[in-house]
Amino acid sequence: MSVDQLTHAIVSGINSGAEQFLEGTLAAILPVIWLALLGLELGRPYILQMIERFTLRLGADLLWLIYVGLRDFLVISGVVMSFMFLFPDVVTADQLPLFGGLAASALFGVLLVKLMGDPDHNLTHYRIVMALLVAGGLLYFVPYVLGVQFNSAAPAGAFATISSFLVTSSNPNWAVGIGYVSTALFAIMGAIAAGYTLITGGRAEVPESTSGQ
Amino acid sequence: MKPEAVTQAITNSFVQGGSQWLISTIVAFLPVLWTMALMFHLGRPYVLRTLRRIGLRLGADVWWMSYLLIRDALLLITFALGWIFFNPNTVFNQALPITAPIAELCLLLALAVKLSRRVDDDVNAYRLSTVFLVLGATLYYGPLVFAVEATSQTYLAGFGAAFTSNANPTAALWIMWLSLLGVALVTGWLFVQAVRSASRSMARRLAQRETKPASAGR
Repeated sequence: MSVDQLTHAIVSGINSGAEQFLEGTLAAILPVIWLALLGLELGRPYILQMIERFTLRLGADLLWLIYVGLRDFLVISGVVMSFMFLFPDVVTADQLPLFGGLAASALFGVLLVKLMGDPDHNLTHYRIVMALLVAGGLLYFVPYVLGVQFNSAAPAGAFATISSFLVTSSNPNWAVGIGYVSTALFAIMGAIAAGYTLITGGRAEVPESTSGQ
Repeated sequence: MKPEAVTQAITNSFVQGGSQWLISTIVAFLPVLWTMALMFHLGRPYVLRTLRRIGLRLGADVWWMSYLLIRDALLLITFALGWIFFNPNTVFNQALPITAPIAELCLLLALAVKLSRRVDDDVNAYRLSTVFLVLGATLYYGPLVFAVEATSQTYLAGFGAAFTSNANPTAALWIMWLSLLGVALVTGWLFVQAVRSASRSMARRLAQRETKPASAGR
């Protein structure tokens, strides 16, 4: 073996190892992000109760702002970190939850409802957001717990089959297909969001028509 | 193999591997930055809606200021880190989205619109910067998802060969040089605008200073 060959082998090892480490870290942090954002979304009544008890307006405003900022930032982080579910090479190489891409799409849907609606003051919009979060949470945690975290402990038979089915690397055809569906959903919702902001011009609401007045 | 040779190989690996790792980390992190930049830009109506409901001026100011800082810093950092797409060696050797330099140019154009017009007050300027950002993001995501990150998919091999920089180096370098020219032109225009604007405001201030003592003496 020459020096160049050894160098090349070590460089390849460092690069692929670092890439897998990065993806593995993201995959390990995502459940925490999901749990935190679900906790904050579900904790809305508790925050509102606390706000009612504040005697100073400043404290109430700051608590609400910190809550809204943290909650929405976690949703954005969840979507951004789930981007790896859209990459065919990553889903075929790494052990990821099979429906992670669809869960990310549900999370992106939450952001779209927040952009176009008003879930903090409109009950229908709030219910849509909660439904999307429940769907996304189930799509993420069911394959994560029963697939990624269970596949080596699953007893042979139906459990092992289901467990390996729910992991992307052992079910690459479904994983890539779901990745494409998620990419299409992202593209459609992204186009709707861009269209909405272009129509409103970045303002809070669509301006009322003034023609004929 | 002698111990010296192994030492040399490990040293070379750290230098080359470290450099490649840094570039690949930036490339891996850029989609995150692009997505966040886009979300913060498109999320303006939601931020405004929340802002309107804040009763106190202090809270509203803190909210708006944080939003502006994060949104614009994200755009700037994304452009700065994306500079690797204008390094010919990197474009030639690494697997990068072939249209990434055009995406960077679009990002710079969005920044240029922000710098030259009041995007937060002028609806059309906001729309223009949105168009540039969406176009840039599309040019970045498309080849990234279906070419650079899809080498395992044989039916996408043709697309991958055409849209990955090291698989199609001639086209990649042409795109890079043309985009770099565009970046130079936009930057030059921004420089001229900044100098003109500064000259105008400074001249106005000087004129005010000159008129003040004269009026005070009357």
